[in-house]
Amino acid sequence: MSSEMFPEDLSIYADCLSKRYEIYAQPADRLKQMLLPRLLRAVGGGEQKYFREFWALRDVSFSVMRGETVGIIGRNGSGKSTLLQMVCSTLHPTKGSVRVRGRIAALLELGAGFNREFTGRENVYLSGLLYGIPEGELRKRFKAIVDFADIGNFIDQPVKTYSSGMYVRLAFAIAAHVDADTLIIDEALSVGDVRFTQKCMRYLREFQQRGTLLFVSHDTTAVINLCSRVIWLDSGRMIMDGAAREVVEQYLAAQHAADRKSLGENVALGPVASKGRSTAKSDVGDHGVPTDIVDSRMGILNGTAMRNLVEVFEFDAVNINSEFGAGALRIQDVRLREESGAICHMAHGGELVDLEIEARVFEPVKSPIFGFFVKDRLGQRLFGDNTYVSYLDEPIEGEPGEKLLARFRFRMPILPTGDYSIDVAVATGTQDDHTQQHWIHDALTFKARESTMRHGLVGIPMHAIGIERIEGGE
Amino acid sequence: MFSAYRLIDPTSPYRSLCRHFALIWQMAKRDVVGRYRGAFIGLLWSFFNPLLMLIIYTFVFGYIFKSRWVGLTGGHVSFAVILFAGLNINAMFSECVTRAATLIVENPNYVKKVVFPLDTLPWSTLGSALFHLIVSTVVLLAISVSANGYIHWTVVLFPIVMLCFIPFLVGTMWLFASLGVFLRDLKQAVGIITTALMFLAPIMYPRTMIPTQYQSLMLLNPLTVIVESSQDVLVWGRQPQWGLLGLYLLCSCLFAWLAFAWFERSRKGFADVL
Repeated sequence: MSSEMFPEDLSIYADCLSKRYEIYAQPADRLKQMLLPRLLRAVGGGEQKYFREFWALRDVSFSVMRGETVGIIGRNGSGKSTLLQMVCSTLHPTKGSVRVRGRIAALLELGAGFNREFTGRENVYLSGLLYGIPEGELRKRFKAIVDFADIGNFIDQPVKTYSSGMYVRLAFAIAAHVDADTLIIDEALSVGDVRFTQKCMRYLREFQQRGTLLFVSHDTTAVINLCSRVIWLDSGRMIMDGAAREVVEQYLAAQHAADRKSLGENVALGPVASKGRSTAKSDVGDHGVPTDIVDSRMGILNGTAMRNLVEVFEFDAVNINSEFGAGALRIQDVRLREESGAICHMAHGGELVDLEIEARVFEPVKSPIFGFFVKDRLGQRLFGDNTYVSYLDEPIEGEPGEKLLARFRFRMPILPTGDYSIDVAVATGTQDDHTQQHWIHDALTFKARESTMRHGLVGIPMHAIGIERIEGGE
Repeated sequence: MFSAYRLIDPTSPYRSLCRHFALIWQMAKRDVVGRYRGAFIGLLWSFFNPLLMLIIYTFVFGYIFKSRWVGLTGGHVSFAVILFAGLNINAMFSECVTRAATLIVENPNYVKKVVFPLDTLPWSTLGSALFHLIVSTVVLLAISVSANGYIHWTVVLFPIVMLCFIPFLVGTMWLFASLGVFLRDLKQAVGIITTALMFLAPIMYPRTMIPTQYQSLMLLNPLTVIVESSQDVLVWGRQPQWGLLGLYLLCSCLFAWLAFAWFERSRKGFADVL
């Protein structure tokens, strides 16, 4: 490493970094590739390749200043891991170069440096030595590492007996205690429980004050929260490198466009049923005939335990699991009301409910679209709707500071027993080209109990149920 | 970071030994302790192992084949001791080489997932093999003492003999570890190589027993000089043939250097095939 070419305040410098994976049919071909072309050249023969090639990364150049936090986003297979591996120098660039100042600690994969047969204690020492920490120093830090990892007596068990959570906790604890100048985190935090994730985030925020952080995550909210700058990779090329919010916004927009293309209209703000302008007249269909359908059994079931009970848990704006969006509008409250207007804690399958989504406007918006999805335990989208068509002709505009309320009135379907959640979102634009301003996964959760339904995803109300004797016996 | 070692420097193979000594030490220790983990008598196996082998060899060659070592007096026990001196060397070589062939293949994480000084893996393997050699040598000396009542002063020269052996061993391991990644058949061939070298070295018979014209040919076996030197210092009580040993050391270092250079060149290809 020539340090005279490397300014003091630069932490990572990548120049035209490219990686070509050479895919060999058999290991011996790699040896041939190493020896034969050189021999053939020497005797003036032609070139021959013994591999198929795949470019995982092409001409990526960037530099990271000391103390900067840079996020890297991109879909699976976009070259993020390859890039990180080259920064950590576990992979050789095919072309270009990358230089890094100081000690790097990397959490690329769950405790990949661990020897599975060794105990946690032994792995702490081994990893520490690999990071170049002297043994005496390690002994001093050992307690701090174990405290951070919080895995109790498991520290003296072979790591092969660890759960994946314990694995990553120990790995993170070690990486946090090696005085790294640069820390590289690749999706590792998603495995731990909430408490540990919080601890890691606290540590990362503290680390940001003194070190360089490279952070890879699919959780764009976390990326925006943590990083000042984001690099977006796609198919091995750098698409964007800039301010975090800007890049993430573009990235999500591209993601949505791609999703819609590949999955038809079922994703994002999906198909729009014909619905009146206001919820007040929505009970009346095109022909003036009441279209609302009540299950014929309601009368019988309502008094019994067989009634489909739906228990709703409140929206908690502080503890949102996961959200994303550009942020021109932010959803501030989501609630379910009974027909009477009271906040609904217990709904019954078949009853009318109002889903209300309240959002504050932060930047001027034209034609906001509100939407929701009801998902089952497995994340399958059962049904959902949006306001797009309803306001097609007379779009509502929003000015900063205003608050908008969207209301969807529908009959709570009869649901099989289980856990459900509702995703809510607000977007701007049109059905085909929109930007998600705020999407909250699992904004409301609810449980369905005592269902008459056993099979299927959603029960529909039965107009009539009956058995007739149509032919007499002997 | 990769070309931290300058390959044209003949001391480069030993740089990593100094730089990562603590790591190598830990790995070797783990290797020795870990091997017998869970076994009832644990570490004692490393003591019983050579002893039992010695009894078997002595029984077969001493009693059944009635092999005699020219110039050796003192019956079966003396024969056992001289056999043991040679077998230890072969056992060490065989342990190192057998494990070298799979050293990299069995640790793909060290190649692909973390920055690991791969060239230290042979050193830690050597460390654990060295431990077993020391145990065996102690057993040998104990038998020697109980049979003769004394040991020769020349045993203090044994570490010097080993020092000449080590560059060859670690060089072989670099070579085999690297080739083992690309040529998966190597693992199978190793057994034959080590057995062949055992029978073609003066372990069960003195070099003088074979026809004169082949005697110097036997020196091509890399074990020969070390086996004879060990027998000299441990059993015969005489100084090793310094000239021969010096030449061996030279070749040994040269070989280690080349093998190391090869290892460092070829390691760039490991990640492509693991």
